[in-house]
Amino acid sequence: MTPETLDLIGGWVSLVLTLMVFSYLLGDNFLYRIAVHVLVGVAAGYVAVVAVENVILPWINATLLADPGEAGQTTLRGMRAVGAVPFLIGVLLLFKVSARLAPVGNLGLALLVGAGTAVAVIGAARGTIIPLARETGQAAGGEDSALIEGVILIIGVITTLAYFQYLAAARDGRVQRARGLRVFSGVGQAFVIVTLGALYAGAILTSLTIFSGVFRDQLEFILDKVGG
Amino acid sequence: MLNFLATATAMIAGVTMVIGLLSDPGSDARAVAALVIQLVAVTGAIAVLLGILNLLSVHLGRFTHAERGWPYSLLVLVVAVGVIVLRILDRAAIWSGDLEGEQLSPRVFEAVQVSVESALAALVVFFLVYAAFRLMRRGVTGWNVLFTVTIVVALVGWIPLEDLDVFAELREWLVRVPVGAGARGILLGVGLGTVTAGVRVLLGQDRSLRD
Repeated sequence: MTPETLDLIGGWVSLVLTLMVFSYLLGDNFLYRIAVHVLVGVAAGYVAVVAVENVILPWINATLLADPGEAGQTTLRGMRAVGAVPFLIGVLLLFKVSARLAPVGNLGLALLVGAGTAVAVIGAARGTIIPLARETGQAAGGEDSALIEGVILIIGVITTLAYFQYLAAARDGRVQRARGLRVFSGVGQAFVIVTLGALYAGAILTSLTIFSGVFRDQLEFILDKVGG
Repeated sequence: MLNFLATATAMIAGVTMVIGLLSDPGSDARAVAALVIQLVAVTGAIAVLLGILNLLSVHLGRFTHAERGWPYSLLVLVVAVGVIVLRILDRAAIWSGDLEGEQLSPRVFEAVQVSVESALAALVVFFLVYAAFRLMRRGVTGWNVLFTVTIVVALVGWIPLEDLDVFAELREWLVRVPVGAGARGILLGVGLGTVTAGVRVLLGQDRSLRD
């Protein structure tokens, strides 16, 4: 068997799987389910391979199987102890399988949650809130049309944020927002809908582009191999 | 007691990380934060591995008990194990003759994973268009009309038609001003929500670790 033969087999497999997925347009059927289960199997296998090859093995080599070299015994022992921590947490996570022993598993999860939360908080503050607030504040700094657009932008941002406020109070037997907030959130809702509409159009365009790419690739393969 | 320990661990890890991430590069606190991130990355990989083992054990159970859809479970098992075995053979450089030095696992990835994922992504276009059509059939409201008009303007604005530059200009303005404002508002809201929820965890007020 040559690499060219493997390419040919790969091309046919790709064509057949693509047709099996597109068969879903006729309704849910066994061909589509076979293609999806093949995808699940391949993805599971690959993720396992990548996790072991790119993360776990390098970590073991750098810590648990570290070369003594010039490092002292104390340093080496420390590295090995640190190297064992993720595996200890992994064992703790296994306890989550049982409802009775789940609190033991929570100990392992706690480190992940704490560290992940800190990264998310700092990332959101530094990467989203501060730059976006600064940019929005500077948006109205231009002249004429740019000034008008900047004002619309600021109103849009403020009213969009107001739309996601759910503060309400009981009035006349009904729980409702304050009148001012209702007006603001109504304007914000319009901005949110326009944004989601544009994102929806973008999603249609993206999937249409992918569809035409898939269609072109498979048609080229058929014409190349069958048409001669 | 265990719940208290879990909450305390999350708080200590979180506060240590916050201090480390806000410290100067090269400081001890930053080094500790970097180590914790490494630990979390490796733990995450181990958790992913455990998740895959769980997935395979569920499918093995469905297959051995001949539950409904067991042939699909068998397929998942065979394909997953096949990919792992193929990768091991690739690493062992077992191929000879014309295939010497070849890596077969990337070819399988290309032929299966890429083609099925591309086909699934391509399939989405039909459901998006159908869903937009169904939206208007369910009832015409002002918000529905605004949503649909935005979609139409954004799509028509992409078509390079002569004498219809007005749609392209309208689309460009739409994306720059109202969509820019809405997207910033949504992103700021998400950011503020993340900080609020995160601070609750760091202060030990979140109950997710107590369940």
